[in-house]
Amino acid sequence: MSSVVFDHVSKVFDGTVAVDGLDLTIHDQEFMVLLGPSGCGKTTALRMIAGLETVTSGTLSIGDRVVNDIPASDRDIAMVFQSYALYPHMTVRKNIESPLVAHRGRRVDAAERERRVREAADILGLGDYLERKPGALSGGQRQRVALARAIVRRPEVFLMDEPLSNLDAKLRTQTRTEIVELHRRLGSTFVYVTHDQVEAMTMATRVAVIANGRLQQTGTPDEVYRRPANLFVATFIGSPPMNVIRGVARDNGAGLELAAAAGTLTWSTPVSAVGIGSELVAAIRPEHLHVDPAGTLDFTVRAIEQLGHERHLLGRSGDADVVVRQSSADAPIAIGESLRLRPDPAEVHLFDPATEARVD
Amino acid sequence: MASNPRSTRRAADLGWYVLLTVLSLVILFPIYTTFIRAISSPVPYLNSIKSGGGLTPVELDWGVFWRVIKEPGFYRAMLLSAGTSTIIVAAQLLTSVLAAYALVFIDFRGKKLAFALLVGTLLLPIEVTLIANIETVRDLSLFNSLVGLTAPFLAWGFGIFLLRQAFLGVPSELRDAAELDGYGHLRFLFRVAVPISRPIIGSFVLISFLAAWNQYVWPRFAADEESWQTIQVALRTFGQREVDQLNFGFAAAILSALPLVALLIIFQRQLIRGLTAGAVKG
Amino acid sequence: MATRPSPGRASGRRARDSLLAASFLAPAFAVFAVFAYYPLYRLVYLSLYRPNRNTFIGGSDEWIGGSNIIDSLTSSTFLRSLAVTAKFAVLTVPMGIILGVLLAVAADRKLRGIRIFQTIFSSTVASSVAVASVVFFTLLQPEAGLWRNVSWLSIKQPGSALVAISTTAVWQNAGLTFVIVLAALQALPSEVREAAELDGYGPVRRFFRITVPLISPALLFLAVVLVIHALQAYAQFEILKPTNDAQPLLYKIADPEGVETISSRAVYSLGLFVVSLIVSIAQFGLLERRVHYGE
Repeated sequence: MSSVVFDHVSKVFDGTVAVDGLDLTIHDQEFMVLLGPSGCGKTTALRMIAGLETVTSGTLSIGDRVVNDIPASDRDIAMVFQSYALYPHMTVRKNIESPLVAHRGRRVDAAERERRVREAADILGLGDYLERKPGALSGGQRQRVALARAIVRRPEVFLMDEPLSNLDAKLRTQTRTEIVELHRRLGSTFVYVTHDQVEAMTMATRVAVIANGRLQQTGTPDEVYRRPANLFVATFIGSPPMNVIRGVARDNGAGLELAAAAGTLTWSTPVSAVGIGSELVAAIRPEHLHVDPAGTLDFTVRAIEQLGHERHLLGRSGDADVVVRQSSADAPIAIGESLRLRPDPAEVHLFDPATEARVD
Repeated sequence: MASNPRSTRRAADLGWYVLLTVLSLVILFPIYTTFIRAISSPVPYLNSIKSGGGLTPVELDWGVFWRVIKEPGFYRAMLLSAGTSTIIVAAQLLTSVLAAYALVFIDFRGKKLAFALLVGTLLLPIEVTLIANIETVRDLSLFNSLVGLTAPFLAWGFGIFLLRQAFLGVPSELRDAAELDGYGHLRFLFRVAVPISRPIIGSFVLISFLAAWNQYVWPRFAADEESWQTIQVALRTFGQREVDQLNFGFAAAILSALPLVALLIIFQRQLIRGLTAGAVKG
Repeated sequence: MATRPSPGRASGRRARDSLLAASFLAPAFAVFAVFAYYPLYRLVYLSLYRPNRNTFIGGSDEWIGGSNIIDSLTSSTFLRSLAVTAKFAVLTVPMGIILGVLLAVAADRKLRGIRIFQTIFSSTVASSVAVASVVFFTLLQPEAGLWRNVSWLSIKQPGSALVAISTTAVWQNAGLTFVIVLAALQALPSEVREAAELDGYGPVRRFFRITVPLISPALLFLAVVLVIHALQAYAQFEILKPTNDAQPLLYKIADPEGVETISSRAVYSLGLFVVSLIVSIAQFGLLERRVHYGE
């Protein structure tokens, strides 16, 4: 069992910085999800743990061992790839036992090997398919073979690179649960890369949000959702994303408010660093904007998306695109209608427009 | 006159059959005449053609095939061709697999230059290098020898190119997985890269065999003793016989092509893949 | 997202990898060093120096230099054989390709027994140049060939000998073209054909406007390969024995009758090399822009 520690780790490819001074501690037995848009450096970070990429600077440790110079095959890790990376010419059994056969240091006797293959196959329900080749399996079964190949190594750390992205929606949901169960059962450290926030929110014990090669925030899914550390996290997590409204702070007599093109916004959380006249960015989730004739923001409806249980009003508030989430049971609204919106003051997040950092 | 779509369809099909048959006759015509020449007794055939015939066999002489097969000059040449071709194919496979593996899977400086130098040899075919290579083979006392007949073909730029393409097709995640599993280079080469590339390797073996078997210029000039003539070179001398033996050369030509016709029919798909490998980009 | 690394990264491994790469590349390079790179050097050398074969007395090779090269390149032997070779290419490549494409288009359809026709059409691929020459000997032979009275296919008449010889190569080229073009046609997505049909193209216009551009990479490849084959033609000429005015460049290089000097044969060889090089470069350079490369 072990932890993974990035200590100011950077990775540069031909002058392009893929990972920039990453400081991140992944605790023992944790299910850590590295979340970010494609090209953000999350896969590079994962591949550095695997030893498939070198570390340009900084130190990377697994357990209490610095692994910068340890070859991939000698690290106590296993990886599940996006494409599963099964050997197409080998049977399922040969694929699963491959790590025990290929590497001298991991070779075990035939009986032990058979026992481990059986065990892994049983956990993943592959017992009947051991003599088939990957080409004869469904996508979901191939995915399980990839997982079994990882299990059979009994690694300290499991690495997974978007393992669900090649599955259809239904199978994805089902496999999500199975991977979480696998994590509970094995009690190893899992590091899981995805761009899909639903996977991150449902599977992670902690999430590390990465953008442009930099760590944006770490925290439990709940923390990241409720208290985004910066504007990027605020708008990346949540669907539809948070609405962003820019304006200037001014005194309305009772306290500070944000004067925007479409009206005003107030907030209930105490904010110390904001003075009169400072520019601010407010972010608020679509469900925290309410249609109310007494509201403080102008809103013009441009489109309505019906989702059955709820609906989204898409429109403009001054110079900002704004989405409002409503129950389908709310009063009907027509496209083109001009409304007033009442933001929920307890749910307004404020960010500095220059640094994009949270200001409270 | 309502035209029924099915009958128009049938008429069109018939048209295509007629065209295909005509084209087949055009392609097969020289083969047919060769066959006629082989199975006709030579002197009566010459008389027949002088009197305007020649398209049908005269005084059947089926025994000619048996006489060809029994002739040492024929079967020795066939065996020599089989031997040199096998050596060439095996050697090309080995040199191409190793070189292509290094070009794709091993990191080293000067890789682009190495690739250019290897594939650039396609611009130096045996026809260009002929006289210098004859000199070399003479100087090394390899004239009239198995080594001399095969040595220039033990590596082939096209083979390296083709196998490099095959290896480049191995998904990069599979390489990563193999690295994590702990495969060393040799193990990865023989347990993963080669088995995965089996279809292209199969095509390459066929193409390489075809080229080696049909070789003419090099064996013609790298040997001058009759016992070191490959079948292609021997075909030329088979034609120079007594008048009553003139069908021998035609029968020998047919028999010499049979192994390849068999290969062509059995491995049609692999052969086409090999022949088209250069034509399809990517 | 990430550029791919290669197996082996720790510094000791890098050196080991370089060593492994060297040993993997060594066999191929050894063969090429002796039978491709050295001959190129040797041909240049032989063009410039006349070798002194008298090893007992010793003495160095004699510099003949530029004059040998100029004399050889301007000799009527070289110019005439080069012209023969060029004519041979002109006679065999376009006809071979046209015939082969015709075969491929005819055989690219779903009919009962089509595989039989396809096998027949590809049969010439199995025949060597030597076999093809013997096969056409039955037609071209001056005494007993079936075409002995067809004057423009006479192998013993100066004007027609080359045309006669070309028939063998056209026959073979048609087979190779058939195989490659049929594969290219069958690789075309059927949507393209259907879309063209919906757009209202008739079969002929569809072929020239849609199909030909899409198979143009295969046609380009064929053109290069067949021209190179034509430049290297030899066996047909030795087996069918046309008139002396119809002897191609390689015949002068190989020189079976032993009438040329080694110095001029070396220059002819380099000439063949340069012409092949120009053909490869020119065909790709000129045609590549006009050729549609699909995915």
